[in-house]
Parts: sequence; structure tokens; C-alpha cells
Amino acid sequence: MAQGIWVFVEHADGAIRKVSLELLSAACGFAKKTNGTVGAVLFGTGMDSMVEQVTGYADRIYVVDDERLSPYTADGYTLALTHLAREDTPAILLAGSTSMGRDLFPRVAMRLETGLAPDCTGLEVADDGKLVATRPIYGGKVFCKVSIPDSYPQMATVRPNTFPLEEPNRSGERVQIDAPLQEIDIRQKVEGFDKAGQEKVDITEAEVVIGVGRGIKDPANFKAVKELADVLGATIGVTRAVVDNGWWDVNDQIGKSGKNISARLYFAFGLSGAIHHVLGIQTCKTVVAVNSDPNALIFNYADYGLVGDMTQVIPALKEHIAKAKGEV
Amino acid sequence: MNIYVLVKYVPDTEAIVKVASESELEIENKYFTSYFDEVAIEEALKLKEKFGGKVTVVTVDNKKIDALRRGIAMGADEAVQITDPGLEESDPFGIARALAAFLQKEPYDLILCGRQAMDDDAGVVGPATAELLGIPHASAILGLDVADDGKSARVDRQIEGGKEHIRCSLPALLTAQKGLNVPRIPQVMGMMKAMKADVRKVDLTELGVDPAMVGASGQKVRVLKYEPPPQRSSATMVEEDFPENVKHLVKLLQEEAKVL
Repeated sequence: MAQGIWVFVEHADGAIRKVSLELLSAACGFAKKTNGTVGAVLFGTGMDSMVEQVTGYADRIYVVDDERLSPYTADGYTLALTHLAREDTPAILLAGSTSMGRDLFPRVAMRLETGLAPDCTGLEVADDGKLVATRPIYGGKVFCKVSIPDSYPQMATVRPNTFPLEEPNRSGERVQIDAPLQEIDIRQKVEGFDKAGQEKVDITEAEVVIGVGRGIKDPANFKAVKELADVLGATIGVTRAVVDNGWWDVNDQIGKSGKNISARLYFAFGLSGAIHHVLGIQTCKTVVAVNSDPNALIFNYADYGLVGDMTQVIPALKEHIAKAKGEV
Repeated sequence: MNIYVLVKYVPDTEAIVKVASESELEIENKYFTSYFDEVAIEEALKLKEKFGGKVTVVTVDNKKIDALRRGIAMGADEAVQITDPGLEESDPFGIARALAAFLQKEPYDLILCGRQAMDDDAGVVGPATAELLGIPHASAILGLDVADDGKSARVDRQIEGGKEHIRCSLPALLTAQKGLNVPRIPQVMGMMKAMKADVRKVDLTELGVDPAMVGASGQKVRVLKYEPPPQRSSATMVEEDFPENVKHLVKLLQEEAKVL
């Protein structure tokens, strides 16, 4: 009988990715309700500090410490994860809806002949342990509740910032597992990495995002936006028009052909609120819009609105926010 | 190079999609070829220009073959429609089974598709098809450089904070991200060719797919309910003149929304 909720834990540069801790927090809540257990799955090499960082969030920490799992490859990780899930099938298996989660989980689900709810913005676990996942479809015009009716594990990838971080209150036991990685040919080999644009957390994971549209008029105006971003601890995102003008990297494009974000606080500057864009910000919590056109559609999607020229508003906003933060 | 591109015709980004009932959607009749699939077609055509060979577009759809016509109009050589009443209500895993059953009999060197279709936004069919075929995959690619011997490719993958460079052996399945290229606009000659093009139809019997593995009976994921997206209450507008409005806004963010 499949039991337990497992989270595939991602880490980069020695730190656990925040979305993994969010999912472990959620898993602890579900486990409490269903009297279940929480498993954390960690792959890589030299895992002691990683294990330490998740100890409070799991009952068992499954570690595969193997140099063939560093860095990530779809082939290596699929083998290791399916090996683990076959040894001790969890009822639920979760990962962040990140570049890794979305590369890995479909393949793992197919190999395990089970189902996957990708890119979810909500999860519930019924008393009988069945997962109900909410996922936006048609770019967010419709929200769809799905289940994985009769196979295990019930798999889902979940967007960052969907669940709050909770205080750790478990004390997990480390379980060392060997996966037969020598038996396969890993056909992807990572040769390098280029950092793009900002030295900041990705827009999909950022708590505060500043969105910039065509109203910026001149790429030189990004200087003021960056200064505001520094005061807010925000990551800058842009609309399609800004990317298509060659003013900013596509990696930070918000919307239907870019990325969906779930920031706690989102500023929309000089962007009209085209459907492509607003679909990508639907799960943001507080939305603030600044636009010189009082009839801009973006005001229909905002919690707070200000009619004005962004190039004038941004420096003033920076000054007042810095002051407000200083006084707290 | 023999390149296969998996394509889908989906409601346009601008199309109105409404929840008619918990189990039914009302979709405005405005469709287009999923943008990421067009990016995949473009990449295939560029590779054909460099290496020669053939580009085949493939769709799983019982009704619409417009994405195939778009592919031909852009310059693809052949078009295949996988169609069977038994495929209705397939989830992405069922679609992958049908595609893999077709592809395994074909002489492919490379398979391309969009990073996700712009209707269900799942991004499952590509990697799941690769798994069934036993070939490697890489998703959301921003760059592709196939080696001269055609045995491997350098792939740039979009990951958080930048681009990862991978050497991947071929044949492989790669899913295209915006930024890989700019898809060409079909010319009149291409459109005329597309109107007349033969579309090869393939059904489940020909593919040898067990009908229990696809369609409603093969579903691994079940839709329980459709809901409209959560609505935001109307915006609080700060009405003062500059710079008083900025000051007021910051006060609201700090004291009312408590987000600063």
C-alpha cells in the first residue's frame, strides 16, 4: 500500500530551494491531517548540510549520494527517482514547478505509469489520502481541479510561492539509498552555465516583482527601475513588448509566452494589461498598477492604482518606500 | 536529417474561454497553432536548410488539421494526422502513447515540439513521448547546435537564473522555448501548397495501440471540475496630484496591505 507524502527537494549552491521548503511545509500539514509521514528526497554529492536543512521538515530523508547525480540530468534523476519510488511507493510525490521539476516529473510519471498534475497553484489532500490539485489552464482563463484516480504515486509539480513556509517541527532520519546509476548511459552531459541578466532570485520565485512595460520608453530608464528594485528586494520582470524591442532578456518575460509568477507583491509599471500579460500574474497576491492612461486595462486587475508617468513616479516611490522601510 | 515536429491547434491567446458548467467549457472559435510549436517547426526548417532531409509535422486531433497546414505552409514536407474516436478524452499520457507508437516505426533523427501546448499548459507530452521511445529529452530549449556528424547536439536550456549548456546524444526529443528563434510567416506559395497537401491519416489499429491505454479509459489524470479564475476586487485608486499620490500609495501599501 502506497503511503507517505514525498517531496523531491531541489538545491543550488549549497542551499535548499525555497519552493522545496514550501512543499515540505505543506506536506507536513497534510501528514498531520492524515496521520501520514513526510519524506524528503535529496540527490547529489556531499549532502550533509542539505540533509541538515530539511531535517525539521520530514520523517525520512532519502539520500542518493552519487557523483553521477551532480549536476542534474533527466536520465540520471529519472533512474534514481523511479528506483526509489518503486522500492517504497509514496502515495504522493511533489516537486516545484521549476525548470527541473517540469523536465523531470513527466518522464518519471510515464516510467512509473502514473499520473501527474503539472504547474499547480493549489493542493488539497482528502481524508482518504487522495490528492486534489488545482491547475490553471488556457493560460489561467480557467482553473481546473484534477485527481490521479487509480495509480501511485499521485504526482504534482507546484508553483513557487503557493504555500507559506512553516516552522520545522519534525526530526527526520537519514536513509541512504544506492541507485543502479552505473548500469545506464546518461545521455545528457552538462557542459556549462551562463548567468542571465540579474543577480537576483528568478521572477517565478521572487516575493516581490516589478513588471515593466512599453511605458518605460527608453531602456536607459531601467536604471531608476533597478534602484527601486534594490530598495524593495525585488526582481524585475518585463512584458513581451519590452523583450521584442530587445530591451531586456526573455528569461524575465512575464505572461503567456513567458513565465507565470506568484509574487506576494507585484508592481505593474507602464504596461497596459494585455491578456497575455495578466494571465501570467493571476496568482500574485497584491498588485499595484501605475499607468499614465486612466483607462488602461491593468487597473481592472490591480488592488491599488495610480495614474501617472512611470518615469516620474518610480524615483518618488523609491524615496518614499526607503523612508517607510527605514521607519519600521 | 529526418525531423518530426509534434504540433497542436489550440485556442488563440485572445480567445474567450468560459466555464459553462463544472464539466464544460465554452471556447470562442479563434484558434492558432500553439506558438511554441511554431518555434519548433522553425527550428526543424533551419536544420533541414543546413543538413538536408525531411520535416514531418504530426498532430493528434480528430477534427482540426490546421496546425499541419501551417507547418506545410511554413515549409514542412509531410503531414500526419493521428485520428481515432478512441482517442477522445485522452490525457497527455494517452497522447504520448499514440505519438510514440507512430514515431517508433519512423526513421527519426530528431523530434521537436513546443515546451507546452497553450491550451492545457501541461508540458507532459514531449518528455513522456521520449520516455516511451527510450530516447533522451531536454525541455524548454533556447539554443540548438547539431554536430556535423549528426550524433549529438549542444542544447541551451532555460533554467532559473540563466542558461544551461548540455551535450545531448541524438536521436532525442527537444521542446522549444520562446527565444530559440523567430518563426517565419508563411508566404503565399506555401499557403497554396498547404491547401493542396495530402495529409496522411493514421488510426489506433494501424498503430497497434491498445485502446484501453488511451482515451477516457487510459486516463491517468482525471478532471474533476472547472472553475472560473479567482476575481480581484476593484482597485483602490490614489487620486491626489503628484507627488502626494505616491506618498498616499506607499502609506496604503504599508498600513492597509501590509506588504512593505
